[in-house]
Amino acid sequence: MSTAFQSSSRKSWRLATGFASTALACAILLGGVSAWLLGSVAIAGLSAAAVTFNFHTPAAFIRLFAVGRTAARYGERLTGHKAALADQISRRVELFAAMAAAPAVRRAGWQLGDDSRLADYLDDVEDLDFARLRAGLPALTLACGLAVLVAGSAVLAPLSLLPIIILLLAILFAGNRVARAGAMAWRETRSLRRGGASRLGAAIASAVPLKAEGAWNRECTEALAALSRADGAQLALRRLQAMLDMVAAALGPVAGVSVMAAAWYAGTQGTELLAPVLLAFSWLALGETMNGASRMLVAVLRRNAARAEIGQWTRGTATGRREFALDDIRPGQLLHGGLQRRAPDGRSIGTPISLLLARGQPTLLVGASGSGKTSLLKQIAGWIGDDAFATDDRILSAGERRALVSLVLHDAVVLEDTVRANLFAGDAPDAVLWRALEAVEMDGRIRDAGGLDSWVRQDRFSLGEAQRINLARAWLSSRPVVLLDEPTEHLDEAQGERILERLLARFSYRIVVVSTHRAPPLRDVRTIELQP
Amino acid sequence: MKTQVVPAPVPDSAAATPGTFQSLSAAERLARRGLRGLLALQAVRTVLRLGFAATAAMAAGRLVMGETVDPWLVAGMIGMLATACLAGFAAERVQASAENAVSTRLRALAGERLGKMPARQLQSLSTGALIVSMQRHPESIAALVVGHRAATAMMAAGPLLAAIALCFVSWQAALLVICLTPVMILFFALVGNAIRRRADAQERAFGRLAGQFADRVRTLPTILANHATASEEAKLGRRLEGYAGETIGLLRIAFANAGIIDFFASLSIAILAIFLGLGHLKLATIPGFSNLELWQSLFILMIAPEYFAPFRRFSEQYHAKAEGLAAAAALDRLLDAAPVTACPLPVLDRLRLTLPAHGLVAIVGPSGSGKSTLLRRLAGLEPGAMPAPGTRLLAAEEIAWVSTDAYVPEGTLAEAISWNGGALDRSRLEHAARAIGLLDDALLPGGLDARLDKGGANLSGGQRLRIAVARAQLSGRTVLADEPTAKLDRATAEAVRRMLIGISGARLVVVATHDRDLAAAADLVVDLTRDDTVEVAA
Repeated sequence: MSTAFQSSSRKSWRLATGFASTALACAILLGGVSAWLLGSVAIAGLSAAAVTFNFHTPAAFIRLFAVGRTAARYGERLTGHKAALADQISRRVELFAAMAAAPAVRRAGWQLGDDSRLADYLDDVEDLDFARLRAGLPALTLACGLAVLVAGSAVLAPLSLLPIIILLLAILFAGNRVARAGAMAWRETRSLRRGGASRLGAAIASAVPLKAEGAWNRECTEALAALSRADGAQLALRRLQAMLDMVAAALGPVAGVSVMAAAWYAGTQGTELLAPVLLAFSWLALGETMNGASRMLVAVLRRNAARAEIGQWTRGTATGRREFALDDIRPGQLLHGGLQRRAPDGRSIGTPISLLLARGQPTLLVGASGSGKTSLLKQIAGWIGDDAFATDDRILSAGERRALVSLVLHDAVVLEDTVRANLFAGDAPDAVLWRALEAVEMDGRIRDAGGLDSWVRQDRFSLGEAQRINLARAWLSSRPVVLLDEPTEHLDEAQGERILERLLARFSYRIVVVSTHRAPPLRDVRTIELQP
Repeated sequence: MKTQVVPAPVPDSAAATPGTFQSLSAAERLARRGLRGLLALQAVRTVLRLGFAATAAMAAGRLVMGETVDPWLVAGMIGMLATACLAGFAAERVQASAENAVSTRLRALAGERLGKMPARQLQSLSTGALIVSMQRHPESIAALVVGHRAATAMMAAGPLLAAIALCFVSWQAALLVICLTPVMILFFALVGNAIRRRADAQERAFGRLAGQFADRVRTLPTILANHATASEEAKLGRRLEGYAGETIGLLRIAFANAGIIDFFASLSIAILAIFLGLGHLKLATIPGFSNLELWQSLFILMIAPEYFAPFRRFSEQYHAKAEGLAAAAALDRLLDAAPVTACPLPVLDRLRLTLPAHGLVAIVGPSGSGKSTLLRRLAGLEPGAMPAPGTRLLAAEEIAWVSTDAYVPEGTLAEAISWNGGALDRSRLEHAARAIGLLDDALLPGGLDARLDKGGANLSGGQRLRIAVARAQLSGRTVLADEPTAKLDRATAEAVRRMLIGISGARLVVVATHDRDLAAAADLVVDLTRDDTVEVAA
């Protein structure tokens, strides 16, 4: 991300920290000084000193603290969010790049294409985005406030430190318990939620068989029970939090009472007691900010869990993730003498096959569902495995092939963006884009939707329409190797054949591989039949 | 991000028709008892805190003025502090338990609703949305009907209790804070309107950019396949920046809300401290603020913030309200979706079909002619469709359903085959699995002990179907099979045919199929080819 944004984020955090400390200081002093003022005037009011008492200076300070607390709180909230948002932008852009380089994206079945997994992922990202605002910043100012007041207590009423420190230790102990048990509860919550969600998903996917066999209610209830057990784990965590909050809420009042008691025990009297009164009321004011103690801790544990979880996605990412620039290479053929076919998880499928993919003669991969067509296309594309293919005069590694290949996935999706952006054709002229849409018979539909610059979303299109947009992307691609995975899926037979024929005519000078489970009547193709 | 300030549309509960799913009112019913306990505890806590403030102020005031402090006063103060803490602890626990109970029961209610929903309608729902809804929405609704409702009630009760406490010392001071309240509420209304206007404007201008990160993560493989990573990365950065800028603009107003409460709380302390100070100095005679004891002044100073605290707690609950309402609306929408009407198939309504006790019945016809629908009607899965007289209803019987979307539990292949079929001995399992070619499948290494992912994620449709066929053979039930040989390679299709024909020797097997070989082996063929005639040939 741009350094400008980083420096603005750093500035915002500094500002937010300043505001937060000011707000806390004003809040503490507002309570303390007000009480001190009342005490002093009450004593002064007993004697002639009332007339000479300088009332206006402390009164002005009190007004200043009142206004200062309000303003600084507002500033703290605003700059804190500004800083967190600036961090969010850079973190999310980096995360996007890292995710794009993660091998998991290229394997079968993109898990984050699934709504519930995506929602969990976004929760994690948000926990990461806002941990500093929710935990880091308040914890820092709270610690400063505590340090100042503890120091003050040590000077004014040393004996009061005994209960204060005992209580602080109790808070640490309870916090430690929450941290440990909480991390476990949170882990349990997550795994139960995920288990329940995937079980429910499996049940919904098999709704007809389950209902026919009379097993729906049992499966659905069990899946929902897992989700409720996850809520139960959350309940356990909240109960622990309540314990910590109780101890933390007692700190302010207990410290205030202890300061007064210690001062009284030390024999302090009259005006000398005013300083302890100030301190005691300051403790009370600080106590108010201790209320969110457990929430800070939970924000930290959620951040840690989120970090670990997100790390899972980007693990195994190669460092050099930039694409190879191979613009000048237009291979006439791709050759592999003994390609060991592999499933996406690395298991080998069948015996090695020899593969010759030549320009001008499309290759048809035919096979039943589960015969590994998509996996083979991904292997050719360099998305899985690290096979090397020979071309006319050189060897192409998997990474190099990734740059050469236009892989048309059968489960490709529509981005929430304009139609133009969805075609991924850079700044190609409108006429070219319309030509592509005509070729896939989507021009009318897009015109109705509002043209190339209309904003579209996945759910506005049927599966067949999304598939045709995907084929328009292939039409517009200029890569020398085109791999089409089930291009006629979700299309009716005649339309599928028309579009496929147009695409093959356009790609006549490129290497083309088409996978399909029903062989269309095409001339001049080599057919490879795949057995599982 | 959670700082969403767009108010959620309030579902119009009055407009709902009877028999609809009303998650909010259901949740309110479920929450009633827990809410009562929670409110009682919170009220006790507030009273105790006020009591602590009173006794603490009294003790401190008397100490400073050199008067004696009654040990009972100190004991009472400490006792009240301790019990206030305990009441707070109990209140939080009660709130957590109540919310948990509501979300669990609400989820169970939603589950019952799903159980009554016809399969066709269930399939028309977005799976992802349904899972997200079941997972998260009960919790959000529970937080609304328990936590938020309690905060709302306490916003009335808390200030009232604080004002009463102030009245004991100085009714004028109570009047002062009470008078500040309408001014504060006026500001609230003004700010609230500004937020709504601004949020609407932002929604119009920038609503599209809200989910860009999520959308780009969702669509990553497509972006990668189109070599658009770098350009999308740059675009994402620009859009996030634009959205963040707008968000900050909105927050600038939204935080004014919290600012107002802070301002009035601070202001009340400042005004009171100054009035009380002047009174003590006898520089001014303000009724109700003069001739007070120090402890009375301190008491007023300590109670005033308590008066405003419930307002702050309520405003912190804003998200709970917005999220809860949105969740309730989403859940209702999902569970009350209009029934999906099947396209009319008059040919099925005229059909007279007498199914034999055993044998193979093939339903044939082109796509869309109603083969699968007939199969579902036979299984009693199509509500409203009256079976023609004379048609034997299979719904009352035990059915084994064979299709590519067969249910596969997590576990081993053996567990998947014996699922829903009771205990079966291993040799029978092995025999059935071998006959259908599941044991020599290269994609399923490990034989009967092969691990299957949750929901059979690592299985192809063909493998799932074969598991269902093996299960059907072992189950002893009537078999309904939807396109059992489509999408299979020749050898496997042959194995499936053989097994189905084998089963039909002793039981009834009904298949909806395109497969001519399978139809040729049938004892009875129901041909749905033409609209007006149904040929039933033996």
